[in-house]
Amino acid sequence: MDWTLIIENSLKGLVGINAVYFAVAAIGMNVQYGYTGLLNFGQAGFMACGAYGLGMTAHYFHIPMWWGIPLGVLFSVLLGLLMGIPTLRLRADYLAIVTIAAAEIIRLVVRSVRFKAYFGGSDGINNFSETFRKVGTDLGIRQSAEYGFWPFRFTGRELWTLTIGWCVVALFGFIVYQLMKSPWGRVLKAIREDEDAVRSLGKNVYSYKMQSLILGGVIGTFSGMIFALDRGSVQPDNYSRDVTFYILTALVLGGVAKVSGSIIGPMLFWGLFTFVDNFMRQIAENPIRIGNFMILQSTQIGQLNYMLIGLALILLMVFRPQGLVGNRKEMAFDGR
Amino acid sequence: MLSLVFLSAFGLVFAFMSSPAHGADFALRIQVKEQFRDANGKADNQPVAGVSISVTDATGVEIGAAETDETGVVVIPVPEKADYTITLDESTLPEGAALDPGSPAVQTVTEDSFVTDTRIVVFFTGQSQSESQTFFERLSQRILDGVRLGLVLAMCAVGLSLIFGTTGLTNFAHGEVVTFGGLVVFVFNMAGLSFLGFLSFLPGVSEQGTFHILWAAPIGVAFGGLFGWALNAAIFSRLRRRGVGLVTQMVLTVGLSILLRNFFLSRFGGRTRPYREFTLQRSWEIGPASITPRDAVVSLLSLVILVSVAVVLRYTRLGKATRAVSDNPDLASATGIDSERVIRLVWIIGGALAAIGGVFRGLDEQVSFDMGGRLLFLMFAGITLGGLGSAFGALTGGFVVGIMVEVASLAVPTELKATPALLVLILVLLFRPQGILGKAQRVG
Repeated sequence: MDWTLIIENSLKGLVGINAVYFAVAAIGMNVQYGYTGLLNFGQAGFMACGAYGLGMTAHYFHIPMWWGIPLGVLFSVLLGLLMGIPTLRLRADYLAIVTIAAAEIIRLVVRSVRFKAYFGGSDGINNFSETFRKVGTDLGIRQSAEYGFWPFRFTGRELWTLTIGWCVVALFGFIVYQLMKSPWGRVLKAIREDEDAVRSLGKNVYSYKMQSLILGGVIGTFSGMIFALDRGSVQPDNYSRDVTFYILTALVLGGVAKVSGSIIGPMLFWGLFTFVDNFMRQIAENPIRIGNFMILQSTQIGQLNYMLIGLALILLMVFRPQGLVGNRKEMAFDGR
Repeated sequence: MLSLVFLSAFGLVFAFMSSPAHGADFALRIQVKEQFRDANGKADNQPVAGVSISVTDATGVEIGAAETDETGVVVIPVPEKADYTITLDESTLPEGAALDPGSPAVQTVTEDSFVTDTRIVVFFTGQSQSESQTFFERLSQRILDGVRLGLVLAMCAVGLSLIFGTTGLTNFAHGEVVTFGGLVVFVFNMAGLSFLGFLSFLPGVSEQGTFHILWAAPIGVAFGGLFGWALNAAIFSRLRRRGVGLVTQMVLTVGLSILLRNFFLSRFGGRTRPYREFTLQRSWEIGPASITPRDAVVSLLSLVILVSVAVVLRYTRLGKATRAVSDNPDLASATGIDSERVIRLVWIIGGALAAIGGVFRGLDEQVSFDMGGRLLFLMFAGITLGGLGSAFGALTGGFVVGIMVEVASLAVPTELKATPALLVLILVLLFRPQGILGKAQRVG
């Protein structure tokens, strides 16, 4: 068993690109779930808006890539309105149902043969991220060179995405932190605790919820963009329902209704995930057998990892729904 | 505690299933078939020989190329599980044959889709017969298909809606309860539970411990009910006692859904598989539409079950108590109804009905690890349309959504046929959030 490798990979997992795009998406989800009590199960749909906003500039509109940023934001505002208008006056469950459905429909539409001309079908879209890479190269980062020190060694390509990614995390973390300290943020928290009380103070609850949903969604859009730029491609199946759920798990792991929690959570999530994954893969190289029954096969590790995520989410909700750094009192709200 | 034991026992039952084949050799098994579909879309497929197939990896490097043999199959070994692109050379197709529009000449497989070491890719040539049908024929066929889907949806959705009505919980793991039913039946039907071989004196039970579907299905339904009971007893009743918020419980069901789905995937594999008695049958022509005897029997049975559920809810003491708890749990308790008992029964009945839905869906479309998860969204659309929390609403809503989704596939591409369900969801919530059968009341 090569512990050095396991630890090295896990530490890299803490700060790697997966943690970055999860963190950005989790900051967005935290605005909705943690601060406002809105259950958005369609964050993957917002991420797809960002990714396809970037991808479509090259694939369909043939305009410079940077236009993808306003385009993605526009898409996600529209999506937020579509999800929010019918549901935000109703009980919390309706939003959950509509968001989960809308995100799934988005995935089906972008991977469909019918709309291949716009979204590239199930192959997705490639070759749009050169502009982004070129900025890095112009700044003197050699794409294939290696940078860093043990255990944080990254190629220039990774380093460039990571730098931008963590800047985005810091930016949105700061914005959300400031917003939640403002009177606007206090209204959101009050809505989470008691909607009727806020309404009786003359606040337009519906409008505040809509702003929260859209703000969280737009932040999620940037997460999708970072992911697409890192991969250099947009694949419809990267925006499935499960991605939202994993981000939710990461958020709950870190801590709900705390900006720090929404950043620590994804880091821990990917650190632990990489650790468990590497650990099991090393075990599977020398499989344990009991009679004819194999305890662990390398083909099952993927599913086992995801089972552990599900189990972690269950245990967290039972024993610590506020997450590591959250405040239990802030997670006592009831959707009914 | 007993319930926890039961939950682990379920795990053990699945552990007895043959796990996916393993070994160092990975391959793509590519089949080219000429389809002769009847109006029902189910009939014979003929192999197409001598078609050139090439496989390239994600970077565009060619891994292998070959021609299909007389069984229409070509197996191309690949070095590892990864993303591959499979290209069919359309110029090598036989004279007059063309690929079905739904089966493009270039297909991609992803690393994740390799659940076993061999990934099967199928190309279809030929046209489905629908081109030559009149609009009326296609419409009636779709309506008939829609009725079948609607019956399954209604059955699955009743539990979801009743659980919501009595406890306020939206159970995002309900799709997995459906899958559970379908898979338990598969285990009894196909896996060969050798420790049950002593039952082979019964008709339809083999010495290897495989059960005829007529045995396996009721067993699966019983397991579904037990599963519902165990979920409630092990998790949700405890949470209710501790006063855990509904949103927290809802997020927990999401975790449960991830856990179960991946568990099913790891034990069952990613393929769709038929039950033993799943055979292609000659369709009965009913006017302009056609239905296989199997589907007809399944539909009739569903109808009988659904009507009995409705009768039970309408006329028995239990049904009245259930509706009373749905209506107003506090008031129901005050009138002496043991609401915990009602909730327990609702979980059991909901689990059993979901399992029936899973079995019927499995007979219709074969079984897979996410068969229920894919229905979940349609179930939600159904219960929202019918009125969240109302059992009759779930019955009608599920039924209507099923028909609508199938009929919509006349107008929208099949791959997008679920889209109208979202539209219904949004329109209902905008204009009649209490649903067609719900009472007009504040739901906000």
